[in-house]
Amino acid sequence: MVLGQEIFHVDALALTTGACIVFFAGLTLLYSWKFALGSGGRLGYNLYLLLSLVAALGVVLTKNLVILLVCWGLSGVFLYLLIGYGTKERTPATAKKAFIIIGGTDAFMMLGVVLIGQISDSFNMGHLRLSLAEPSALFAFLCLLMGVLAKAGMVPFHTWVPDTAEDAPTPVTAFLPAAVDKVLGVYLLARMVLDLFLMTPGMNAVLLTLGAVTIASAGLMMLRQQDFKRLLAFCAISQAGYVLLGIGTGHPLGIAGGLFHMVNHAIYKSCLFFYGGAVEQRVQTTNLDRMGGLARPMPMIFTGFLIGSLAVSGIPPLNGFVSKWMIYQGIVEVGREGGGLWVLWLAVAMFGSALTLAGMMKTVHAIFLGQPGPDLPVATGHHKSTPWPLWFPPLLLTALSILFGIWAYDLPLKHLIFPILQQTPISLDIWQPTLATVLILTALGGGIMFYFLSRWSKTLRQTEVFIGGETLDAVPGMRVSGSAFYDSVQELPVYRAFFTLAGRSDPYEVSAQFVTRLCGPLKNMHSGILSTYLSWCLMGMGVLFIVLLLR
Amino acid sequence: MTYLLYVFLLGFLLTAVIGFLASWFDRKLTARLQYRIGPPLLQPLYDFLKLLEKETLIPKASSQFTFVSAPLVGLISAITVSAILWASNMDPQKTFIGDLIVVIYLFLVPSISIVLGGFASGNPLASLGASRELKLLLSYELPFILAILVAVIKSDFSLRLGEILLAQAKNGMVAVSWSGGLAMLIAVICMQGKLALVPFDTPEAETEIAHGVMIEYSGALLAAYHLMKNMMLFALPFFIIIVYLGGLKVKGLPLLYGMLEYVGLVAFLTLIRNTNPRFRTEQVLKFFWGPVTMLAAVAVGLALGDY
Repeated sequence: MVLGQEIFHVDALALTTGACIVFFAGLTLLYSWKFALGSGGRLGYNLYLLLSLVAALGVVLTKNLVILLVCWGLSGVFLYLLIGYGTKERTPATAKKAFIIIGGTDAFMMLGVVLIGQISDSFNMGHLRLSLAEPSALFAFLCLLMGVLAKAGMVPFHTWVPDTAEDAPTPVTAFLPAAVDKVLGVYLLARMVLDLFLMTPGMNAVLLTLGAVTIASAGLMMLRQQDFKRLLAFCAISQAGYVLLGIGTGHPLGIAGGLFHMVNHAIYKSCLFFYGGAVEQRVQTTNLDRMGGLARPMPMIFTGFLIGSLAVSGIPPLNGFVSKWMIYQGIVEVGREGGGLWVLWLAVAMFGSALTLAGMMKTVHAIFLGQPGPDLPVATGHHKSTPWPLWFPPLLLTALSILFGIWAYDLPLKHLIFPILQQTPISLDIWQPTLATVLILTALGGGIMFYFLSRWSKTLRQTEVFIGGETLDAVPGMRVSGSAFYDSVQELPVYRAFFTLAGRSDPYEVSAQFVTRLCGPLKNMHSGILSTYLSWCLMGMGVLFIVLLLR
Repeated sequence: MTYLLYVFLLGFLLTAVIGFLASWFDRKLTARLQYRIGPPLLQPLYDFLKLLEKETLIPKASSQFTFVSAPLVGLISAITVSAILWASNMDPQKTFIGDLIVVIYLFLVPSISIVLGGFASGNPLASLGASRELKLLLSYELPFILAILVAVIKSDFSLRLGEILLAQAKNGMVAVSWSGGLAMLIAVICMQGKLALVPFDTPEAETEIAHGVMIEYSGALLAAYHLMKNMMLFALPFFIIIVYLGGLKVKGLPLLYGMLEYVGLVAFLTLIRNTNPRFRTEQVLKFFWGPVTMLAAVAVGLALGDY
């Protein structure tokens, strides 16, 4: 109780998201310990990490909308400061872009909060259930939604995420845009949908459409990326679309699926960024063209990355599959109520998995498999090993991603997700992947056996690869890096049209152009010539005199 | 334990036997179309056993463990998906929620195993082939999903194979309607892609990239891939029979109909693959994302309009 008001309030939603935030903050701090940062002190970096943890916790634990807004804004500030620890040339510009997009939408959120205060006479987020039929409530909803979309990196306010991923230090990307910012955005969205507003089918359709657009467009963008951190960022955006889709269904199963997907996504995307950071530290590049064949020097990181890639593509029995499955069920429930749009949403969502799979497989090939890059020092095998803080946190996340897939109902759903909805939207006869897991483990065991047999068995022999009698050393041009896998997709007229459209619709660039045009005439007035300024002054005085005289 | 027996007997043994027979049928029909006599009935089995005995070469490539496990994991997923299909066909009441989605995703795993195996072999030609397999997957997936959604709409918005079967038992087959027939045609074309048969055999393309994804595989590992492909030659048509043709009845005369349906589907695949040239990769993309997806959208529209 402060000033006679209840400020903090912990319910199941706050508990789940808060636990996520603390968990990822701990892992990131551990990871950052051995991660080589660029300029700036480590003290400041760790301080900002902790402060953004506090700000994020403030967002989820408070009951007061004003406090939420303040913490939300602070978390944006710390993101800005943390991006600044990157070492790329473009880092300052990227930090500014992220800050402007998030800060700009924060301004709209402020408007939304004020409107809610006007309507309900208090800033408390109790069980308000404002009707969206009222124009002011609808406007408040849209304002808050803008903040959510920007924070969680969803179309159309997603453009800061890929730039941040490319230019910020990897642990920062793994912590904020990939995990905590997503969690915060989804938290507010869930609050809005569950408590603040009474959703209408029309507004749900808007959310679903935004989600489908997010999945498809980010998935298509993934195919053409050359930098793996940027590629992972587009993958993160695409996954955020599933969360939007799940919550947009308005059906308990869909909402539970969306929230579960948020947790899952934070797990495997942080995991992928962490592994990626370990690779980056080793080979000093993030360009897919220059890597390759790293599975041999880094077998464990390869295995973890592969599991993460399969989980993000929703391959059973990993965790991504369960949450996607729940979201699909939720969409079909929407379909029962009539209308034909749900087919589109469902088809896009399921096709989005194929896009994710294609993008992730390309990454796995280009980094770990295929033929080693020509100028990689690491390929020779003489190098120092990865320190444990760089592989232990992602290993933990990989384990979670397997556990949450196999025992989805018993572990996360029962204890983390269903309490939020205060009901159990699915019965027990869901798919129990235990048997499939045992079978897959058998196959992997067979693989291990085979692998060791190949050392001494007579019917197994190790050979060089056969490329029509040529060798890679003699003809290095035959190396296939993987970054050009989907060139023939990119050549399609449809894809090119989409890409041009995507390039033109970055809200940051659009508003920057708008502001430049708006300020152009003002800028031109400042010619620097004294006589011009004097004549402006005289004209102004003249106008003043006339106004005063006429009064 | 009984479940394990189910997986082994139906999911593995029966599926493998039917797969081998289907593979023989495919080769025999191909031979007859080319005025040859064709192989004896047990030839696919002989081939399989011979491969098991042969020396297995493992390239000194980026990840040998991935290289040897990929065919085994692919095989396991083919067994799992066949077991799920058999279970829902035998006892439609007892299926689990959303098994349709599980099946659709499990059908992806053999492709992924082929891709990863190709990647891991370290051969540039295999990498090219694997990238083509991924592009193929991207192309057929969209119309395939739309075509399956037609059956979902027809069976009262259920993602449960059992309920799709029960709805067909009550209202007649999905395929016997305008939208269902169109959707089944699209699904069969996508199946051709999923099996990577001509004209969609870009990942293997013997004449260009020398079996691409398979180039480094030999001996027992190649045998595992062949077994997996033969099993998929049963599992995919079986899936289509369940979703569009009301499933296989296992007793009496309907069993004969079911078998005829299956043989008809395999014959259709064989005919297509023997009368068409191979598409280029971008032609595959244009074909699936263009006319096939359009037709699938029309089928969905018709289904929503209750035709």
